[in-house]
Amino acid sequence: MGDKTDVWQGTLALMVLRTLESMGPQHGYGLARRIEQTSGDLLQLNYGTLYPALLKLEQEGYIKSSWGTSENNRKAKFYDLTKAGHRQLKRAAAEWEQTTAILARFLTPAEEA
Amino acid sequence: MRKLRAFWIRLRGLSRMDAANDDFAAEIESHVALHVDEGIRAGLSPVEARRQALIRLGGAEQTHQAQRERRTLPWLESLMQDTRYGIRTLRGSPSFTITAVLTLALGIGACTAIFSLVNAVLIRSLPYGDSGKLVYVYTPNPRYNLPAEMFGPAYGDLYDIKRQSRSFQSITAFDQSVSNLAAQGAAHRVSVARVDGDFFATFQVSPELGRAITAEDNQPGHDRVVILSHALSRSTFGSVTGVLHRQLVIDGKSYEIIGVMPESFEYPHFSDLPYGVPQYKTTQVWIPLALTPHDMAERDNSSGVAVARLKAGVSIAQAQSEVSAIMVRLDKLHDPQMQGWGALIENFVDSTVGHVRSLMWLLLDAVCMVLLIACGNAANLLLARAASRLRELGVRVALGAGRSRIIRQLLTEAVLIGLTAGAIGISFAYLFLRTLPHLDPGNIPRLNEASLDMRVLFFTVVVSLLTSVLTGILPAVAISKVNLTDFLASSGNRGVAGAHGRTQSALIVIESALVVVLLAGAGLLIRSYIKVESVDTGFSQSTVTASLQVSAIYRQPKQSAEFYRTFFARLSGLPGVKAVGGINALPLSNSETLNLFEVEGYANQKDQLVEGRWVTPQYFSAMTIPLVAGRFFTDADTSQTDDWVIVNQAFANRYFSNRNPLGGRVNTDDHHVKWSTIVGVIGDVRHSSLEESPAPQVYHPVSAAEDGYIAVRSTLSPEAMAAEIRSTLHSIDPDLAVAEIQTMGELESAASAQRRFQTSLLTVFAGIALFLALVGLYGLMAYSVSRRTREVGIRMALGAPRSAVVLLVLKKAVLLLALGLGGGLVASWFATRVIQSFLYNVSRHDPVTTASVCVLLAVCGLLAALIPARRAASIDPMEALRNE
Repeated sequence: MGDKTDVWQGTLALMVLRTLESMGPQHGYGLARRIEQTSGDLLQLNYGTLYPALLKLEQEGYIKSSWGTSENNRKAKFYDLTKAGHRQLKRAAAEWEQTTAILARFLTPAEEA
Repeated sequence: MRKLRAFWIRLRGLSRMDAANDDFAAEIESHVALHVDEGIRAGLSPVEARRQALIRLGGAEQTHQAQRERRTLPWLESLMQDTRYGIRTLRGSPSFTITAVLTLALGIGACTAIFSLVNAVLIRSLPYGDSGKLVYVYTPNPRYNLPAEMFGPAYGDLYDIKRQSRSFQSITAFDQSVSNLAAQGAAHRVSVARVDGDFFATFQVSPELGRAITAEDNQPGHDRVVILSHALSRSTFGSVTGVLHRQLVIDGKSYEIIGVMPESFEYPHFSDLPYGVPQYKTTQVWIPLALTPHDMAERDNSSGVAVARLKAGVSIAQAQSEVSAIMVRLDKLHDPQMQGWGALIENFVDSTVGHVRSLMWLLLDAVCMVLLIACGNAANLLLARAASRLRELGVRVALGAGRSRIIRQLLTEAVLIGLTAGAIGISFAYLFLRTLPHLDPGNIPRLNEASLDMRVLFFTVVVSLLTSVLTGILPAVAISKVNLTDFLASSGNRGVAGAHGRTQSALIVIESALVVVLLAGAGLLIRSYIKVESVDTGFSQSTVTASLQVSAIYRQPKQSAEFYRTFFARLSGLPGVKAVGGINALPLSNSETLNLFEVEGYANQKDQLVEGRWVTPQYFSAMTIPLVAGRFFTDADTSQTDDWVIVNQAFANRYFSNRNPLGGRVNTDDHHVKWSTIVGVIGDVRHSSLEESPAPQVYHPVSAAEDGYIAVRSTLSPEAMAAEIRSTLHSIDPDLAVAEIQTMGELESAASAQRRFQTSLLTVFAGIALFLALVGLYGLMAYSVSRRTREVGIRMALGAPRSAVVLLVLKKAVLLLALGLGGGLVASWFATRVIQSFLYNVSRHDPVTTASVCVLLAVCGLLAALIPARRAASIDPMEALRNE
């Protein structure tokens, strides 16, 4: 596992939290599809990697899960944000924005400097 | 925190694997179903939709695996598996496991025991604040050629140093004495420290009850206050509470109790001061030093002991140079005849434990060697076992177990053995600590505070783990060298035995060499001990002695003379008593008086010193010290103290080498004016220690030694005599306490206690080492016999006699022993340097010891090898061949 995956996992967790916040309780498949859609289909998720990420978030107490029924009457496990998850989302989003802002300063052409 | 929470959930996950697996299977199933539903809605065939769904998932099995790794802690999981498997296999071969565990437990136990001792004596910090900042201050005078530690500063010098120096946060002076304490209707002797107002502040301790002794308490007239030790308060009053403001009578004067010290503070201990009062191991009472202006101006007599606490950031060297400079100025104020006073600042902790440091290291070295031997044995056992497990391991490799996993498995087993051995070792160490008080030689500081604290337990765990790795690594490496699958294919049992055998033999050789080193060390100590025990002390063992302090109660010399006249007369009148004598300081009582002296007709040197003792006429008879020439003192001699002296043989030999000492004249006063005539020469007596040859001595006649010892020779038993001394004394003066009633034999035994301590410990360790090495040798021989059953069978079938078979086995044992012995002798040639300073009258290359070690190892080794050799000889060739 290289650094890329670590960043990827971190961002995946953020995407999951953000998606759950905007959509409410959601099952794994729905989450995966929604993340792809939100990315404008630029992201091609390997769905299998989503589940360890969900498990990690659950172990850390940011999300909780329970079995329920999907709109087309399938039994599915639904994930939902916890209070700690809401806080974590705010924190992680702020961190991410800061990181991208810093990076942006480096990547913009150097005229101003 | 979140990470910790996740860790706990994962840890808990280990116990709920199955339920979680089912749950996840259901989740994946539902995921695929949802995906398929959508595929079908998008127009795919159900089969194609399912195929797509699985592809996007990235493989069901991989997903399961990733999930499992996240759910629990994979490394822990395989560790638990290894452990469970290890425990099962170890339980499957109990005789192997028990042997290996007990072997290591002996080694680890010995290490733990000695480490707990080292921990108490050397590592644990002293309970005196930051004790690294404490120093002793001495003012040695090189003119007298005596150890610097004998020169405590004179109070005049000390208080000038205190005023003029900037290096110290505080300086305190104190003095030791032994006093009569009258309390609760009985008199006993107590050890007293007389301390100035800065004593407790310098040591940064305060009483657990009441207050410390202050500068005001040291003002004359205000000094009748006393602080008790916790133990004395307990033994005298039954408790600590409620003793404040009660009155105690010490040497006939009444003191008010103002405090009780905590249990941990009993400074000064006998072992703290190089020239301390030896009668008591600890201090029981602290009273003010209460110096008069006259005392504080004293310069020429060393007064008490001085301890100082360095200011933060001041080094000993800085303090040393400052005080040296001050002493250069102060020296000019001294008697011009005696000038030359300097300064010595010594680290307090080093002075306290320095003298036992080398002993502690010696013991640690010895137990480390025992541990190494134990490791060698355990490694050999594991090697033998690994060889017999090749088939099982081969099967595991064939089934896909990685090499690293196999090595990990073997190491896990070694760690299991090591940790179990560690646990048992701790209980061995506990037993050792229980017996330690019986071994206490009395001069090892804080020996009886040795305990199994956290540091010791941590040490044991680390040693156990190290031991495990050390013993486990050899078999693991040996196994990883064997191509297990090939081995399995050949279905053989041989081929690896050769390589293994060499490692095992090498281990036995190394073990025997280590044993030789240990045996040589123990042997040298035993020889030294025997020599010390057979030293001619020059006095009778059965003489009963007792110590008396009378000057504090009988202020007038006339009073004490009267007391002694009555006391000696009463004792002499007892049936069975042959002689009653008195002396100011008994042999082996750790005190002496040195006088400047000159001998008439001898090329006297400046400032030459001689040891002087003051004895009553009957003393020599009471101690059975023989007369060599001339006569003993008579009662008439005691009235003119300076006229006659008796010298010992050493004195006569040195100063009257070609002359008759009788009638010769000496003076022993500082100004060399009072000449005394030698009337007798007596036999040499070991005075300062058993191990130092007697120094020249001059005996002066007195009618009674004021504060000193009495010596009684009688036909009574020591117990009966002691009872008579006590009751006689009580009937004369109930306020006088007598202490240390003991025979000279007991005094001698106490003087050799440390030697006994180190000798017995090292001998026990050498014994354990020898036993372990023999077990190892026996084990290896038995193992190789069992491996060679077929070979032996063939030899016998071809007509080899049984004696030839015995020789075959013994030959190998002899070879191993000879190699070990050779290596060990070479190693001990160098290693015994460590023990050099512990020897007495024995060369460290002592041939007797070397020869005994060789014989001992050879005989024991051959006996250990003989058992398997005889078993080999009893092999039934038919049986052996049929079984193959």
